[in-house]
Amino acid sequence: MFGFYLSQLFNGITQGSIYALMAIGYSLIFGTLGLVTFAYGDIVIFGVFVGYYFYAVLGLNLILAMLLALPITFLFGVLVEKICYEKFRKEARMLMLITTVGFGIFLRSASQIIFGTGNKSIPTLIEGKIEIGNLNILYIQLGIIIFTLIFIYALRYFLNNTRTGIGIRALSMDQDAAKLVGVNVDKSIKFGHSLGVVLGVFGGIMLGSFYNAISPMMGPNLGLKAFTAVVLGGITSIPGAVIGGYILGIMENLAVAVFSSGYRDVVAFIILIIVLVVKPSGLFGKEVKF
Amino acid sequence: MRKSYLLSLLVLTVIFTFVLSAGAAEDTVKIGLSAPITGNYAEFGENFQYSVEIAADRINANGGIRGREVEIIVRNSEGKPNVAASIAQEFVQNKEIVAEIGDFTSTSCLAAAPIYERNQMVQLSPTSSHPDFARSGEFMFGIVGTQAAEGPFNAEYIAKEYLGIDSVAVIYINNDWGVSTMENFVAAAEKVGLEVTGTEAFFGGETDFSAILTNVKQNNPEGVYIAAMYNEASQVVNQIDRMEWDVAKLAPSSVFSEQFLKLSGESGEGLVTNTFFALEDPKEKVQSFIAEFRERADRNPNLHAAVAYDSMMLLADAIERAGFDRVAIRDALAETENFEGVTGTIEFTDVGDVVRSYMIMEVKDGDWVVQEDYR
Amino acid sequence: MAANIFEKIITNINKNKLKYIFLLIIVLLILPFVVENQYVLHIAVLTLMYVLLSSSLNVIVGYTGQYNIGHVAFYAIGAYTAAIISTRFNLNFIIVILISGFVASLFSLMLGIPTLRLRGIFFAFTTLGFAEITRLTILNWRSLTRGPFGIPGVPIPQIFGMRLSTNTHFYFMIFILLFLMLLMTYRIINSRVGRAWISIREDEQASASMGVDTFKYKIMNLMYGTFWAGVGGAFFAYFAGYVSADSFILDESFRFFAMVLVGGTGTLAGPILGGAVLTILPQVFRSFARYQMIIYGVAILLIIHYKPEGLLGGRTFKRDLSESEDN
Repeated sequence: MFGFYLSQLFNGITQGSIYALMAIGYSLIFGTLGLVTFAYGDIVIFGVFVGYYFYAVLGLNLILAMLLALPITFLFGVLVEKICYEKFRKEARMLMLITTVGFGIFLRSASQIIFGTGNKSIPTLIEGKIEIGNLNILYIQLGIIIFTLIFIYALRYFLNNTRTGIGIRALSMDQDAAKLVGVNVDKSIKFGHSLGVVLGVFGGIMLGSFYNAISPMMGPNLGLKAFTAVVLGGITSIPGAVIGGYILGIMENLAVAVFSSGYRDVVAFIILIIVLVVKPSGLFGKEVKF
Repeated sequence: MRKSYLLSLLVLTVIFTFVLSAGAAEDTVKIGLSAPITGNYAEFGENFQYSVEIAADRINANGGIRGREVEIIVRNSEGKPNVAASIAQEFVQNKEIVAEIGDFTSTSCLAAAPIYERNQMVQLSPTSSHPDFARSGEFMFGIVGTQAAEGPFNAEYIAKEYLGIDSVAVIYINNDWGVSTMENFVAAAEKVGLEVTGTEAFFGGETDFSAILTNVKQNNPEGVYIAAMYNEASQVVNQIDRMEWDVAKLAPSSVFSEQFLKLSGESGEGLVTNTFFALEDPKEKVQSFIAEFRERADRNPNLHAAVAYDSMMLLADAIERAGFDRVAIRDALAETENFEGVTGTIEFTDVGDVVRSYMIMEVKDGDWVVQEDYR
Repeated sequence: MAANIFEKIITNINKNKLKYIFLLIIVLLILPFVVENQYVLHIAVLTLMYVLLSSSLNVIVGYTGQYNIGHVAFYAIGAYTAAIISTRFNLNFIIVILISGFVASLFSLMLGIPTLRLRGIFFAFTTLGFAEITRLTILNWRSLTRGPFGIPGVPIPQIFGMRLSTNTHFYFMIFILLFLMLLMTYRIINSRVGRAWISIREDEQASASMGVDTFKYKIMNLMYGTFWAGVGGAFFAYFAGYVSADSFILDESFRFFAMVLVGGTGTLAGPILGGAVLTILPQVFRSFARYQMIIYGVAILLIIHYKPEGLLGGRTFKRDLSESEDN
C-alpha cells in the first residue's frame, strides 16, 4: 500500500517536473512581462515540431536538430510578439487574450497542414535508468529536474545581473518609468517574450522525448497546465511557478490514486480556484496590481 | 492608406468567396462528405477524405455512375456535433446532393441524424460503432460493425481463448465510443467468466498514463484491455513497457494501423487486436486500394480508411441500381446483396448495421500478423 | 478608402439609431418569408442565438467591466438543465427555458460570492476554471447527464397545440427571446442599476467610496448576464434536439469573448455585429475545409488589429497605469 502511494507520488514528481519546466517560460512571459497568452502551448509545440522537422525530414542528428530549433523559435517569438502584443501594450490585457486565442487557432491548423495531422514519434534523447529499491528512475526524468534547476538559476542571474534582464524587471514594475531611465521597452519586451518561448520549447522537447510523441493538438492543454502552475505558485515568482508545477503534478496523480482517474483534470482547476480565492497572488507571489 | 487597402481586400475576398461557394451546377452526381478535417480528429477525417476521393476517382475513370461524374462535397465538422448538424442542413438543402458519407464520431452522427432523417437523405457512417446510431432512423447506416459484436469477440476469442487469461483490467477513453466499448466488453466478460479487475477512464489527448497504470497494476490483472485510438494506445503500451510490467495487452480494432506500430515501437510487441481489414490481403481490389492510398497519403491505409473507401463504393453501387432519387437510394442501399468491398462482404441488417466477423491480429517483430481468421 | 466609407456608415448609424433599429427589425421579421433555403435559415437561427449569448456576456464584460471568460459554463448549464428536465418531465418549453435561466443564474451566484471581490484578471481565471470544472463534471456525472453520450431526444416544443419544429419556428422563437433580452437590458442600463454598473466599470474604488454597494451590483450584473446565457443554452437544447459536452468546450467561451470584443464592448449593438460576423464567417469559408480555421484565426487577428475598440467602436479598457506597485 505504501509502495503504491510512493509510486503515485513519484509519477506526480515526474509530471510535475515537466509542468515546472513549462511554467518557467510562461512565468517570464505572463508574470514578469504581463503578457496574457493562451497560445503558449501552441507556440511551444510548434517549436518542437520545427526541431522534429530537422530531425525527421532533413535527417539531422536529434540533438542537433532540437538545438537548431531554438534560435528559430526565438525569431518566431519576436514575430508572435509583433502580431499579438505590440500594438496593445497600453490597451486592456483582455485584448491580448483574444489575439493569442486567434493566433493559437491559426497556428494549430497551420501546424496540422505543414507537419501533417498525425502524432509524430520522437525517440528518447537520453536512454537508461537507475534503480532505487522498487522504483525505476529514468535518466531523462533526472535530466528534466536538473534542467529545471539550471534554468531557474540561470534566469534569476539573467534578471538580476544583466542589463537586459534588469531592464525587463524594470519594465514589469512600471513601463513609463523604465522608459525614462533608458530601457528600450520594445526590445526588452521582445527579448523577454522570445526567451520565455525558447525556455518553453526546451521544455517541450523534453516532454516530447519523455513521452515519445508530439501532436499539434497538444498545445492548449499544455498551456493550461503551465498557466495553472504559474498562478498556483505565484504570478510574480519564477521559482514559485516551478514549485506550483510540482504541486500540480503531485496533486493530480494523488487524485487519480485516491479518486477516479476521470477527475484528474478537475483537480487542477479546483486547485486553481481555491488558490485564487484564498490568495490570488499565489503561494509565493507578491501582491500585484494586474 | 495601406490599412484601408487591406481592409477592402478582405471585404472583397469575403464577398468573392461567398459568391464562388454558391457554385455552378454541372451534370454530376454529388455526394456529401462530413468529416473532422481539423481539430483533434483531423487525422481520421483526412483518411476519410483520401479514401472517398480515391473511390470517386476510380468510379469516374470507369465512366461514373449511370453516366454521370461523381463529385464529393467536403465539409469540415471539426469533430463537433452541432457543426455536423449544420453541415447536414446544408447538404439536405442542396437538391444536387443525393446522399452523405460521415461522420467520424457517433455523437456527430447522432446530432445530424434527425436532420438527415427528416429530409430523407442517407447518412452512411464509415466508423460510427454505437449500437444506437443505425437504429435511430431508416436513413442511418453504419458499416464498421458495433461494439455489441466487438466487445464479445474481444472478451471471448481474444482474451479467454487466444490469450488464455482469466482476469483483465480495462483502460478506456472517456468519450462515447470508449464508454460504449468498455460497457460492451465488461458485459461480455461477465458472460464468459472473464474477471474484470477494474476500469479506469482518461480523456482524449492524455499522454501520461503512469498514474492509471499504477492504479490498475494494484489488482494484478493478467491482461490490460486498452479501449483507445492508436495514439493513446501507443502511449499506454510505452508506459507499460517502461514500468517493466509483463502483462498481456489487448485492444479493439481502433488500434489497428501502421501508426500504432510506428508510435509504440518495441513496446507494442505482443498486443492482440481484431480487424477485418489486413494489409496482406491478397485480393486484387484490396492491394490496388492500398497502393493508391499509399501514393496519395504517403502512408498505408488503416481500418478507418478502408471502411470509408467501401462506403463510397457501396453508395455508388446503390445509386447505380436505384438512380438519383434520395429515397430510392436508401432502399437500394438497404437491399445491398453480395457486395464485396476491401473490408469483406457487406450486407445490412434490418436496422442498417453490419455484423462483422473478425481476424485476430498480433504485433510480432514490429509487424501485424494474422493469427486466427473467424470470418 | 473602404475604411473611410465604413467609418462614415458607422457614424451615420450612431446618429440615426432608432431608424436603423426599426429597419433591422423589419428586415429580420421578413427574412424567413423571403428566404427559402433551409440552410441559410438554419444559420440565421444560429446567428441570432450567438447574438443573444454574446449580448449576455457583453452585459457582464461591457457594463461592469468584469472579465468573464468562462461564460460557456452557464450556456452549458442552461442547455443541460433544459435537456434533463424536458426529457424527464412534461413541462411547457417556456417554463423549461425560464427554469434553465434561473439555474444558470444560481450557479453564477455560487461562483460569484467567493470570487467577485477578485480583481480583473484573477476573476477571469476563476471563471475559466469554473467553465472547465463544469464541462468535466458533465462528462463524469453519468447518472445525471449520460456523460459523454450526451442527451438526445429533447422533445419538440409545443404551444397551443402547435408543434414548433421548423427552422422558421425556431427563428421566431430566438427572435422573440433576443428582442426581450435587448429590451430588458436597455431599460436596465438606463436605470439606476445600470448607472451603478457603469460607475463600477469606470472606477470601482471611487464608486464604492461614494456609497455604491459594488458587490451587490456586481452580483446582480453577473446573475442577469448568466440568466440569459442559460436561456440561450436552453434554446440550443431545443433547437439541436441533442446536447453533448463537446459543444461546451473552452473554445466556445473564447468565441463569445471574441464576439464581444470584435463587435465592440459596452454597446448594445456591438455584440449584434460581432455575433453575426463570427458566426457567418466560418460558414462563408466552409468550402475550404482544411483552411477554414486558419482563415478564422487570421480574421479575428485582423479585425482586432485594425479596430481594437471593436467594429462598432465601443469603449476599450485602457490599462490602469496610474497605479504603481508597492514593493
